Amino acid sequence: MSIDWITVGAQIGNFLVLVWLLKRFLYRPILDGIDAREREISTRMGEAARVEAAAEKQKAEYEARIEALQASRAETLEAAREAAEKERREMLAEARRKIDREQAERAAQRAEDARAYRAELQKTGAEALLSLTRKALTDLADETLESRIVARAVARLPEVADRLHGEPQYAVAVTRNPLPEDVRAGLRDALNRLAPGAQLSFETDETRSPGLSLKLGSVQIDWTISDYLEDLEAMLDKAMDDLPAGSARDDG
Amino acid sequence: MQLTPDDTIVFTILGIGINATVVNTWIIMALLVGASALVTRRLRPDVPPSRWRTALEVIVSGIVGQIAEVTQRRDPRILYFVGTLFLFIVTANLLMVVPGFDTPTASLSTTVALSISVLVAVPVFGIGSRGLGGYLKTYAEPSIIMLPFNVVSEASRGVSLAIRLYGNIMSGAVIAAILLSIAPFFFPVVMDMLGLLTGVIQAYIFAVLATVYISSATAVSDAADDNKDIPHD
Repeated sequence: MSIDWITVGAQIGNFLVLVWLLKRFLYRPILDGIDAREREISTRMGEAARVEAAAEKQKAEYEARIEALQASRAETLEAAREAAEKERREMLAEARRKIDREQAERAAQRAEDARAYRAELQKTGAEALLSLTRKALTDLADETLESRIVARAVARLPEVADRLHGEPQYAVAVTRNPLPEDVRAGLRDALNRLAPGAQLSFETDETRSPGLSLKLGSVQIDWTISDYLEDLEAMLDKAMDDLPAGSARDDG
Repeated sequence: MQLTPDDTIVFTILGIGINATVVNTWIIMALLVGASALVTRRLRPDVPPSRWRTALEVIVSGIVGQIAEVTQRRDPRILYFVGTLFLFIVTANLLMVVPGFDTPTASLSTTVALSISVLVAVPVFGIGSRGLGGYLKTYAEPSIIMLPFNVVSEASRGVSLAIRLYGNIMSGAVIAAILLSIAPFFFPVVMDMLGLLTGVIQAYIFAVLATVYISSATAVSDAADDNKDIPHD
């Protein structure tokens, strides 16, 4: 075992040459490649970071939009709910007003029907009363209703004499139906006794209650059956009020 | 029994005999440089690395990592030197299994040459980092009394490196030769496999020791230039 110093020198030279060659063909290309790839990776990472940041920003924007939309949706829903509630209240109020109006109309209609019915009943009652009175007077006393009314008025003329101021020049007798001539003559004679020289004229008014209205100047004296009819109406009202509630509803 | 390829003259140039150690070293150099040039040609960062390029990157990155662990810095100059040491030794040791190939590391001349290279590289790196005065002053530390001991220690490093590598490789070759004569069909295979493992380990140890020596020579400068990377030259 010996050391060949020539070989040692050659090997040192070979080693140094190998160092240079490997530096030239191995280390530098590999290290440069690694550095370049690291730079590229770093660039890509930076780009990825920028893209990620942009994506995060966009995500934040979309989330903000979603939140705004949700808030707007909630506001819209609340507004719609309030509008629906308001419309419901208005519809209920309108329905109540309509019901009240219809109830009032029905009440007014019922009152009008009752009033018309009462008027009709009163008219019918009056006609019946008149007819019965006429018939009773004719059958029992052989007199007419008008003659009895005029006779009653003539009998009560002196009671109103103090209400006449001076002697009236004109007098007007208003009846529902024309008076017979003999009755007119009797009324004219009685007026001449109370106010001599007074001119008496006769008029008819079918709308008036049966009886006699006598105008003496500024004084008017009525002898009609209105009081009797009012008593009859009171009786009818009492009779209707005494009816059972169910009967009244059925009638209404 | 022939123990060293230095004695095998392959051819002669101008009267100088070129022995098998040198020729086989050239073969290893051609293999390393050729493979490197073949793999690293037309490197483009935008092209995905090939399988071979990835393998080379793994090897180079591993060496860089090992050097960085020892020296605590990334110095390309150390990589060029130590990396070449490792690649050369490991390739030579792996080629030991090729029949008829006398590995150069089985020659004491080669291991001495590599040790001398390390012994020269240590002061070169130390002077490069600390300056001539700063480097020479390390021999007188911690006291001037230590100067002869430090010189002897430095010299013994080279001898130690050379003998260790040569002894390990040669011992494997000798043992393989002895076992081959005893049991020619069984032991050579086992010994070759063991020799491969030993060769890789020896290459690693040689490179790490070289790195440690260089690192210790540049330690003061490292402290001053902590975390300062030297750029590629």
